[in-house]
Formats: sequence, C-alpha cells, structure tokens
Amino acid sequence: MSAVGFAMFNPKFDQSWKRSVLSVTCGLISCIVLILLWEWMGSSPENPVTQVLPPPSRFLPVLFESDFKIGLGSQSASIYQSIFVTLLRVLTGMTLAFVGSVLCGMLISLSKWSELFILPILGLIAPIAPIAWVPLALVVFGISNLTAVFIVFMGVFFTLTIATVAEIKRIPDNLLITAKNLGGQEFNVWRMVILPSVLPGVFTLLRLNFIAAWMAVLAAEMTGLRDGLGAVVMTGRNLFNSNLILLGICVIGITGFAVDRLLLLIQKKFFWWQV
Amino acid sequence: MSQVPSAVLSCHNLGKSFGRDRRRDTVLADINLSLQQGDFVTILGQSGGGKSTLLKLMGGFLAPSSGSVSFHGQPLKGITPKIGMVFQEHSLYPWMTVEQNIGFGFKVRGELPQSYRNRVQNMIEQVELDDARKRYPHQLSGGMKQRVAIARSLVVKPDVLLLDEPFSALDVQLRRQLQAFLLAIWRETSTPMLLVTHNVEEAILLGQRLIVVGDRPGQIIAEVSTAAAEFRGRYHPKFLKLQRHLESVLEYNSATADLEYHPEETASAWQN
Ligand SMILES: Nc1ncnc2c1ncn2[C@@H]1O[C@H](COP(=O)(O)OP(=O)(O)OP(=O)(O)O)[C@@H](O)[C@H]1O
Ligand SMILES: [Mg+2]
Repeated sequence: MSAVGFAMFNPKFDQSWKRSVLSVTCGLISCIVLILLWEWMGSSPENPVTQVLPPPSRFLPVLFESDFKIGLGSQSASIYQSIFVTLLRVLTGMTLAFVGSVLCGMLISLSKWSELFILPILGLIAPIAPIAWVPLALVVFGISNLTAVFIVFMGVFFTLTIATVAEIKRIPDNLLITAKNLGGQEFNVWRMVILPSVLPGVFTLLRLNFIAAWMAVLAAEMTGLRDGLGAVVMTGRNLFNSNLILLGICVIGITGFAVDRLLLLIQKKFFWWQV
Repeated sequence: MSQVPSAVLSCHNLGKSFGRDRRRDTVLADINLSLQQGDFVTILGQSGGGKSTLLKLMGGFLAPSSGSVSFHGQPLKGITPKIGMVFQEHSLYPWMTVEQNIGFGFKVRGELPQSYRNRVQNMIEQVELDDARKRYPHQLSGGMKQRVAIARSLVVKPDVLLLDEPFSALDVQLRRQLQAFLLAIWRETSTPMLLVTHNVEEAILLGQRLIVVGDRPGQIIAEVSTAAAEFRGRYHPKFLKLQRHLESVLEYNSATADLEYHPEETASAWQN
C-alpha cells in the first residue's frame, strides 16, 4: 500500500483536519521557498533571467500602478473582469457538458441498439482534445462567449457521455434488483438509483478534464477572443511587457488551482459515495 | 410432492441450465418445494451448488429452464414486491442514510414521506437501529448493514421473504446475534421465510424445515423437520447428531451414503 494509504490507517493521522493542516502548511512552505528563490535570482537587474522572468516584487506592482486595468484604451479590462470572464466560460461549458452527458448517457443506455450505433461515434469524437476545437469554434461562432463555451463543451461532453454509459454498466446488480423488487417504477429506478450511482464517477472525470478545458479556453483567448486571462498574457506579449505576461501567467495558475480545489470540495460535499 | 393449496410460494419440477448445447450446464433439476404461511424453510447446499440460482428463480428474478414457480397458486411472472429478497452483501444504497434506505421501498414506489414515516420509524426501533438512523452504510458494521437490508425488505410487508446467505460475510459472534434477531422477527411478523445457507449449524437452528440441495445437478437430496425445541439449542445432543449427519450428507452428496461421519477415514483418504 502506498504511503498515503498507510497514513490513512495510521491513528496519528486519524483526524482529517490534522492531515489537511499538514498538507496546507507544507504546500505553503514550498511556495514561499520558490518565491524567495525567484526573488533572490531576480534581485540584480543585469541578470538576463530578470528580463524574461521578473520576480513577483516587479510584476505585482503593475496591478496597482494601472489601477487593476490591463490593456489599451477601450479594450482595457480590470484583472477581476478577466478572471470572471474566463471562469464563467469554463464553468458554463463544464456545467452544460456535465448535465448533458449524464442525460445523454442515460438515454443511450436505454437500448442496446442505441449503444451499438451511437457509442462508436462518441468514441471517435472523444479523443479530440478541446484545444483542437478552437479554430472551428472561432469560424462558426466568431468572437463571442459562445465560442469558448462550445470549446469546453465539445472537449468534455463526449468523454463524459461514454463514461456515463460505462458507469451505468458498472452498477452492482443487487442495487437494481433491490429497487425493482421493492416495487420501484422504471422511471423512479432511473432517477433514484441509476442517476446517483453514476454521478460521483462522472464528476471525477469532469474534474480530471477541467485542466484540458481550462487550457483550451485560454488558447482561444490568446488567439481569437479579445478578453479573459489568455488575452492578458497576449497583451503583455504585444507590448513586450514581461511583467504583464508573468502577472497573467500567475493569475492563470492561481485561478486554475482554486477552481480545481473548488471542484474537489464539491465532490467531497455532494458526490462522495462510491457504488 | 403434490401442490398444497395453502402454499404461499411453491415450485414444481423446477430446473435451470446455463449455456447452450455442449456447453450446457444444468445447475438445478427437478426441485419441488412449497412454503406455507408461517413457514421458515432453510436450504442447505455447498458453495456453487446453485442455491442463489434457486432463490432467484423463486423470486422471479430469473426465468426457469423447466418447471414452474407458483405464488399464491398463480404462476409467478416476474419480480414482484410481494416477494422480498435480502442479499448476502452490497445491496444498501451508499448515498442514503439508514432511515432513507429502510424507507426506500416506499419512496421508489412514489409514496409521500408523511405516509410511511411512522412505519419506517417503527421498523427502525424493531431492528434496534435508533442510534444509527442518520448514518450512511459505510459508517455501519457488517451486522448493522444486514439488519438494515432485512428491515428494508420487511417494512414493505412482503408475503414471503427470501434470504440469500444473509449472514455469510459476518463473524461467528455477530452471526449468532443476527440469527436470534431473525428468529425473533419471524415469530413477531410470521412472514414466511426461505433462507439459503452453506452453514449447517445455521440451517438447523433457524428453520422449521431443512432441505439439502445436492451438487451437479442440484436436486433435493434430503429433507428434515427441525421444528422441535431441541434444534433451537446448538449443544443439544440431537442437534449435534443432526449436524454431523448433514455434514456427511453434504460431503458425500447423498442422503443414503454412510450417515456416520468418520474423521479418521477422511484423514487417511487425504494421505493416499
Ligand atoms: N448467469 C449465469 N450464467 C452462467 N452460469 C451461472 C450463472 N449464474 C450462476 N451460474 C452457475 O451456476 C452455479 C451455481 O451458482 P449459484 O450462484 O447459484 O451458487 P451458490 O450455491 O449460490 O454458491 P455460493 O454459495 O458461492 O453463493 C455456478 O456454478 C455458476 O457457475
Ligand atoms: Mg450464492
């Protein structure tokens, strides 16, 4: 068993809050060490590294100097706005894909034939990375929020639909037989047994696919869309402003991390069981 | 065995085979048994002998290959809520609390919570799970889980309860507690029960009637009445004698084989 598995059975680690305090502390320490190293390396202005990778003490002031506004003229947007726009796109796309794929997966599982005919098509589309949909989406939807939502949706929906069908097959017979034996109507069995059985597994996969969806939206914002976090980085590039680039990169990292934690929290709160 | 009119659940020349042609595997053949009102019948058989298959046939979960099953004198057509089933393990819904699991039979039929709350509450008290009502299955011991499963089946008042090795996953101590618990429930509700087990002691202790199903093909090879009081004490000489007898029946797969159990012989057979 792995070290983590061992720790879980070790009475010293019994209380979960102790474990999470430990992991947060360790994570913070390593982040601080990294930043200190970075500051130390970038402390001399002649160092070429400083030009490309300015330390936080240089790029963070950009935020305040510019009154949290980034960009030129009418295209400028506050950093909060950029975060909000990007998050909204990713979360909308993922929510639609999650709900849609669970529904479609259940519909497909209703009949053996729909499985036989539809699953192969899904299997062909699923491996297409979300990022590959960027050019198509830009052509079809132009520069709009719809583009980004479409990219996320396409990148996640098919994988999750296949996963839903697979999860439905994995449900232990006893759970289904019991529900029917208790006199459950068909629709109620789907709603009260099959749906809750598949949700945790599909949500886990959604969480794992979040990074890919996140990257695809950023790529779209860098190439076509004019706002969002990806656009912040591109503005930096266009202005040859490495402070701005670094700022954008850091915000992307921190936001992505926060969303990942949020999804984990949702999983633990709402989809914690295993069938 | 002729059909007894008052039989709640019975089967006639029941058989089941899996596979086709040369791969055909006859698991059960010519099973006749009937369960009366207030009966407690135990079925004893070896592991893999087709006990679960027999219960699934009796409950309408599987279609027979030959013969038929009758429920209240009518041919059984499929799954019905009037025949309850308790599985060996893994049949609780992990996202529901004890209370929700026990009330699930009503909920899944679309009944309103206020209409069944009292019945669920009474059942929880009856199976002594009052302190655990808000807990989830993963927070329960194996014995508590099985009590929940039994309660969930009983609360919807089935005409018959089928139990497929309900205590096999439990250790001896707990198993004995639950056996007593099940007997008490049976006396209280007088729901006819058909319990399958590979444990000889359990089969004698629980049933009023004990049926031994042999191996390949599974047929009834012995039938014993165990209603007498001496079969309720596991150290009574008659209990021990019957236990020894049934163990040899299982071992030789025949009721007419040597009925005395000879440990020395078995030992020497192993050495050769
Ligand atoms: N769906 C099936 N398809 C093919 N063979 C099956 C099927 N179900 C059961 N069998 C076969 O029937 C035989 C009896 O199975 P069953 O589960 O009824 O045994 P059991 O007596 O309940 O065993 P245990 O005590 O281990 O639970 C087994 O040999 C098994 O291979
Ligand atoms: Mg079995």
